[in-house]
Amino acid sequence: MRAVCWHDKLDVRVENVPDPQILNPRDAIVRVKATAICGSDLHLYGGFVPGMVKGDILGHEFMGEVVEVGSAIKNLHPGDRVVVPFPIACGNCFFCRKALFSLCENSNPNAWMAEKVWGYSPCGIFGYSHLLGGYAGGQAEYARVPFADVGPIKVPAGLTDEQVLFLSDILPTGYMAAENCDIQRGDTIAVWGCGPVGQFAIAAAFMLGAERVIAIDRFPERLRLAATAHGAEPINYTEDDVLAALKEITGGRGPDACIDAVGMEAHAHLAFAYDRVKQAMMLETDRPVALREAIMACRSGGTISVAGVYGGMIDKFPAGTLMNRSLTIRTGQTHVQRYMRPLLERIEKGEIDPSFVVTHRMALDDAPQAYRMFRDKQDDCIKVVLKP
Amino acid sequence: MPRPLNLTRADRLGYVVGGIALMVWALRKPTVARTGAAGLGGWLLYQAYTGRNPMFKPLGIRVNPQPADTEANETIVVEDAITISRPRAEVYAFLQTADNLPSLAGEAVQITRDVAPDELAWRATRGDRLMHFGSLALRDAPGGRGTIVAARLEYLPTGGSLGIALSHLMGRSPQRVLGDKLRRARSLLETGEIATTNGQSTGRR
Repeated sequence: MRAVCWHDKLDVRVENVPDPQILNPRDAIVRVKATAICGSDLHLYGGFVPGMVKGDILGHEFMGEVVEVGSAIKNLHPGDRVVVPFPIACGNCFFCRKALFSLCENSNPNAWMAEKVWGYSPCGIFGYSHLLGGYAGGQAEYARVPFADVGPIKVPAGLTDEQVLFLSDILPTGYMAAENCDIQRGDTIAVWGCGPVGQFAIAAAFMLGAERVIAIDRFPERLRLAATAHGAEPINYTEDDVLAALKEITGGRGPDACIDAVGMEAHAHLAFAYDRVKQAMMLETDRPVALREAIMACRSGGTISVAGVYGGMIDKFPAGTLMNRSLTIRTGQTHVQRYMRPLLERIEKGEIDPSFVVTHRMALDDAPQAYRMFRDKQDDCIKVVLKP
Repeated sequence: MPRPLNLTRADRLGYVVGGIALMVWALRKPTVARTGAAGLGGWLLYQAYTGRNPMFKPLGIRVNPQPADTEANETIVVEDAITISRPRAEVYAFLQTADNLPSLAGEAVQITRDVAPDELAWRATRGDRLMHFGSLALRDAPGGRGTIVAARLEYLPTGGSLGIALSHLMGRSPQRVLGDKLRRARSLLETGEIATTNGQSTGRR
């Protein structure tokens, strides 16, 4: 089959690889009909995530048709159209039973590596480094799905592939980011980063009752989308002082909750240069520019919800602000399995059509070009869907 | 109270030889760099004399100079614990078999203590040589959260701390083997299978 393989920093290639096989009784094989490049794939593409090996198949956002199931799978049958969540979760362990699926204790075969870096291991993730299991990903014609009786959700025929594809990651991720803000009546929510996750976080914040949502980015097309699609108020951080603007908008108090939908590769002025140099010298692994600003901006007693991906260590963390102003940080890889059904219902009811973020549709074979375009935000690229 | 020794016999011998070699090398042609080497040599000799290397504790290396098994003069101790969301009797029955005990690879295992469903101990030999021995203590996790398995494994050091460092570099330290085996037990007991990527598609040739 054809698959998108990671070779090196800024080097992905579409190659012929062996078709996946059922390896465990609870596996299924899915013929991928649509797959997307995630903003977090760009961290792998840019070489910022450790534990990538030449030849790894990328991709953790995919949906398609079941073609084969293992002996223990009773709920899925060949021909079923399913969306596959990016966290691999067993459904049996302590965390899965608490619906904290991205913390599954049994799905990362390389748990010892993750324990070395992070203390304890979270779940395995498709196509997201050997630290998280080294699983082959879904940017391919076929994908092997472990614990297929827990993850994949069947989708009704009335919805298009693109309408349901984002249940795999970014729609639940944006939703969980907003849910973590514990939104109350009258709340103002500020969202750093208006990529696809930021867009869904904005939509979800309004869904969950936010009065106002402020969208912060530097790309006019993304800010425009945030404003037109949901009615968010844009701040372009290359033009305005974000802290001053937020203070003014919120009557001198700051947003009730702040969402970091940026993660480890933030850009902004001087702080960017400082962190980029340290990152290059391996004195820190992540650039927490957005996270720092979100902490400084948040109103006292408020919540910082972190949806952006971080991998390792950060510097100049404003612990004093956090402590003295009673701030709460809530974060985590998304417990996608928890959100798929309720969000599918919202899509069916027409409350949200997630396909609004798609700007580019390309063939799987064009993946190298798609990665470059997405990374460099050429052609106003917001979200790329690949069709194998 | 004298602090316990933590160097193995092989280490102490190696430190004496290495320490003297470094000092001799430095004294034959004293330069700034070689003076540093002489200092290192002196430090090694001092550690051989005291029997303690202060770096072992932060590195997680634990030497037991007086192991319970009389066939061993000294052992390296590794410990780990895991919580398995299954009843204690079931976890015990599973771990009781030689294949499922968290023992080290390639060694013949003999169960030496079997107190259901609380304790298990074993001895592992290669030929008639003792290689390691270990024990498991099982107890109920609070709040009906299953079973806590605490494992302790003592193995006979080959090559002293150098051997340990080598096994860490090769990624197959007894500490990791123990952790992997406990996780394997949890995975089989909780999910009925072991998560794997062996045999999956890849772009590696």
